[in-house]
Amino acid sequence: MASQAVAHEAEHHAPPPQVAADVISTELVATTTGASGRFKAWVWILGILSIAGIAALVIKFINQGDDSTKWGYVAALVSFLLSVAGGAPMVAMAPVMAKANWVRPITRIASLFSFASVVTLIMLIPLVAILPPLVTEGARRRTIWYAAPDYSPHFWTTLALVMLLGTGIMLFYSAALPDFASMRDHSTGWRQRLGKRLARGWVGTDVQWRTLRMRIGMFGTFYFLILVFANFLFTTDFGQSMVPGWRDAILPMYHTVSGFQAGVAAVVIALYFSRKYMKLEKYIHLDAFWSLGRLLFALTLLWIYFFYSSFIVFWYGRSENDIATLNHQIKGPMIWAFFGAMILLWFVPWWILIWNKVRRGTTAMVMGSFVILLGLMLDRIRMFVPAWSVPGDQIHEKWLKEIPATYWPDIFDIVIMAGGISLVAFIVMMMTRVIPVLSVWQVQEFNLLSKPIKYIRGHATLVAKPD
Amino acid sequence: MQQRRELDQVYTNRKLLNGQLDTPKWWLPTVSILGVVVLIGVVVIAIMVNKGLGVTGLARPVYWGLFITTFVFWVGISHAGIMISAILRLTQAEWRRPVTRAAELLTVFSLLTALVFPLIHAGRPWRIAYWIMPYDVSRGIYPNIRSPLIMDPVAISTYLTGSTLFLYIALLPDLGNLRDRTTGWKNAMYTVLSLGWRGNPRQWKMQTVGGILLSALMLPIFVSVHSIVSWDFAVASAVEGWHSTIFAPYFVIGAVHSGVSAVVTMMALMRWLWKWDDFIRPEHFDALARLLIVVATGWLAFTFLELTFALYGQDAPEIALREMQMFQWPWNALFIIFFLTAYAIPVPMWLFKRVRTNIALMFWTSILVNIGMWLERFLIIVPGLARRTPFVYTWEAYRPSPVEWTIFIWSFAWVTFLMLLFSKFFPLVPLFEQKESQVFTKDVMIGRAKVPAIVREAD
Amino acid sequence: MSKSILGLFQQPEPAADAMDGLKEAGFELGTFDVLTGTPYPEGAFGEYVPQHRLFRFPAFGAIIGFTLSVFLTAVTQLAYPMVTGGKPIMSIFAMLIIMYEMTMLAGVIATVVGIIFESRLPNMQPGIYDTRITEGWIGVVITFDDESKVADAESVLNKAGALEIKHA
Repeated sequence: MASQAVAHEAEHHAPPPQVAADVISTELVATTTGASGRFKAWVWILGILSIAGIAALVIKFINQGDDSTKWGYVAALVSFLLSVAGGAPMVAMAPVMAKANWVRPITRIASLFSFASVVTLIMLIPLVAILPPLVTEGARRRTIWYAAPDYSPHFWTTLALVMLLGTGIMLFYSAALPDFASMRDHSTGWRQRLGKRLARGWVGTDVQWRTLRMRIGMFGTFYFLILVFANFLFTTDFGQSMVPGWRDAILPMYHTVSGFQAGVAAVVIALYFSRKYMKLEKYIHLDAFWSLGRLLFALTLLWIYFFYSSFIVFWYGRSENDIATLNHQIKGPMIWAFFGAMILLWFVPWWILIWNKVRRGTTAMVMGSFVILLGLMLDRIRMFVPAWSVPGDQIHEKWLKEIPATYWPDIFDIVIMAGGISLVAFIVMMMTRVIPVLSVWQVQEFNLLSKPIKYIRGHATLVAKPD
Repeated sequence: MQQRRELDQVYTNRKLLNGQLDTPKWWLPTVSILGVVVLIGVVVIAIMVNKGLGVTGLARPVYWGLFITTFVFWVGISHAGIMISAILRLTQAEWRRPVTRAAELLTVFSLLTALVFPLIHAGRPWRIAYWIMPYDVSRGIYPNIRSPLIMDPVAISTYLTGSTLFLYIALLPDLGNLRDRTTGWKNAMYTVLSLGWRGNPRQWKMQTVGGILLSALMLPIFVSVHSIVSWDFAVASAVEGWHSTIFAPYFVIGAVHSGVSAVVTMMALMRWLWKWDDFIRPEHFDALARLLIVVATGWLAFTFLELTFALYGQDAPEIALREMQMFQWPWNALFIIFFLTAYAIPVPMWLFKRVRTNIALMFWTSILVNIGMWLERFLIIVPGLARRTPFVYTWEAYRPSPVEWTIFIWSFAWVTFLMLLFSKFFPLVPLFEQKESQVFTKDVMIGRAKVPAIVREAD
Repeated sequence: MSKSILGLFQQPEPAADAMDGLKEAGFELGTFDVLTGTPYPEGAFGEYVPQHRLFRFPAFGAIIGFTLSVFLTAVTQLAYPMVTGGKPIMSIFAMLIIMYEMTMLAGVIATVVGIIFESRLPNMQPGIYDTRITEGWIGVVITFDDESKVADAESVLNKAGALEIKHA
């Protein structure tokens, strides 16, 4: 009985297999070619949905470009994309700063999401055109820009998102140099030529490695700062500022933290599919799911903490502002979106992720992640649709006297949302054709630093910590 | 970064138990002086209870002054324990080892001290005893659970109980060690306290698994306690500067900032006083300082958001308050000192490795941070109340009386006194964790480089 | 009446050899154990640690705490129905805070009780022991129901290189 238990434990907790460095290079570079039929089919489907989404965006802008109350769902989509595509690269950055070993193989897949920030920008364009200036009907609405020019929100939010895209790409590129060199050395055709150009003479000298690490640290820090800044600007200028009397100091941080939650969930989903369909079990270990699961669990609990912190202050305050905010965002027309968001962003993931067994596996983890993404979409709808539904002539009032009626999505909104999300997945999938989905040099580093050992009579892993 | 030292168990025992097995020369004079200060403080508290709150500077409209500021300050300091002990345990950071017990101890004693302040702040403190236990059932009146002033003691008691129990559980192996090193009445005391600890694999496994489980349970409590304390202020819409949704995470991150700085202060003192140079090393200060940079910058972001959204509302009384707080004497001076000491001086200094590994500099910068964080709480609590508005009919400004200052100083003496008393009977550095690090760390050769490595059990 | 012996080693390898020897000699799992002054990675001595049920304790405690807190907060509000600040008599959002704290408190207390219980403490008669164990020595202790196997155990310990064998 005891020996059975021991055998099961050993199989369940087997350390990651040791793979030779040249095998890692060859196998991972090979993942960029030889896409399966299923992969190609999905690329086609996602591509068509993306084109449809952009077309719907253009048509909507032509037909409804003068009525800001019809653009709530697009604003919710931009918020969703900012959270997912903006938050995912944090997985490539934060655990690396904390010198965690488990994250090394999976940083690439997280930083590929930074390219998807281009979708956030695309969807932002019509919003920037439609967002009213700060002074409407002779009155200036509440804004963080105080006495600054009328189009400050438009300019600065766009700049923040452009900088986010740029820094994200630079973070990706800084870490990808050695892998472009691997592409140069091990692949053929256009991939080899592209790798040669982008590797910029990488040979792996000591100076080059040190510069690489310095760049990753620098761009990682900048990325985080800009992400918080972008979240702050977007939620305030395109959210709070649109609603008279809505003053919620915690909203930018709430948005950022739920963004991290969504980003981690997106990385889990990407990892699951890469591991399963590209046969990368040797490289994407259950350790990664275990650690990401703990992170996701903590972020899920943080969601309810941030939400409750804001809710309880409004609930106790009971001024007209407070009551109007609660009715507008939670108790009024958005009550079903709110309950859906709370259950899917907090209650269900909490009870899925709390179990050790779930976090050691993959299937329940990916299901929990899909639930979180769905919940996030509902949460963003709950926040931004009522915000944009406030008519232009009320936007500078002291507080919201009349809660706008529920605005349901029209066919354009649905196609745009589907298209935006599809385009994110499409971009990530296409990037895996250009560069290996797992970071070759970091997988090699992981194998170098982490070795299974026998400790007296037991089994353990020896993890070197060179920093 | 983590340098491995070969330290055998006999040496570890001898060095880390030097407070219990011998008495350092400075111990008795220091404890005596602190005892005198504590006694003076207790007498002053007794005088205040006898004469009433009129001996303080509190008056309409400033009903909450030094006492509540110091209360929030000590609750903030208490957040060090769980941050170091629980979070660093869950993330398996090796460098937490020398610090965990002292940090947990600081938590327990600062919470005990914090709890004193609301009690003495009541005009008739004996009434608190009457209505807590038992409930005044015959008149059908119960404490109002909707009030944050009721939620506070519940939260703080929960955190205090949890931290004390956590401290005791983690102390068990060391109590066994002390039992083995002593004779006579001390041996009898440690035998009872160690509950028969032997050190078999079952007991060690419970320490590991239980430690992780308790850490995971204490973390949500830790976040909730200071959030509930912050809601004392945030739920009140009548006072300017208080009704902000950001207070909960803002206070929590401020607490982590001041708490971890207090741990740095304490670590430097421990190293110097007990000569624990082998166990509390510059690399521990380096790691703590890096953590502090991240936490302090996060705190700065929250401060910025709080100020921005205070002004965002374009509410005249709120703007008038901020104008008073930042530009009028004496608040402007306090504000500048607060900002300089809490962030602008220490954090740029910590960016340099030479400063991070210099223990004296770390000691002084951590004290600066706590001066700044005390001022931060003062600037949140008092100006909103002090701003003279029509119909208040008060002409004096709030000026803390000598009674308040004495009790403020008493609180520092009390915490230090308790810590030193504890150090006489129990080790401040967890011995088994130090010994565990010898077992669980190795140096490996990667090429010609000697790299420190950690042994990780299969999860 | 059980008898026990304790073999003392200064290094972990010989102690692990002794544990292997005892297993091969047919001693039942659970009758011999290893005592250390510091935790070692699980399985380092090939020891047998039965399943623990620690996780049930916080769950049980949390349920008790939750129930008590619902009762306390609901009954006190209903017993003296006073409207404060325009809030409803049964202010669920305010109750949540006290409910949360009491649930966590009960969970923590139950966990601590669980840790002590699962460690099989308090054990005021812990049996054979040596104070050098907390100085880095490693002890292998074997308990017997009948004295006939003592000699076998002693020979295993000696073969493994025990520096001293104590009897109780």
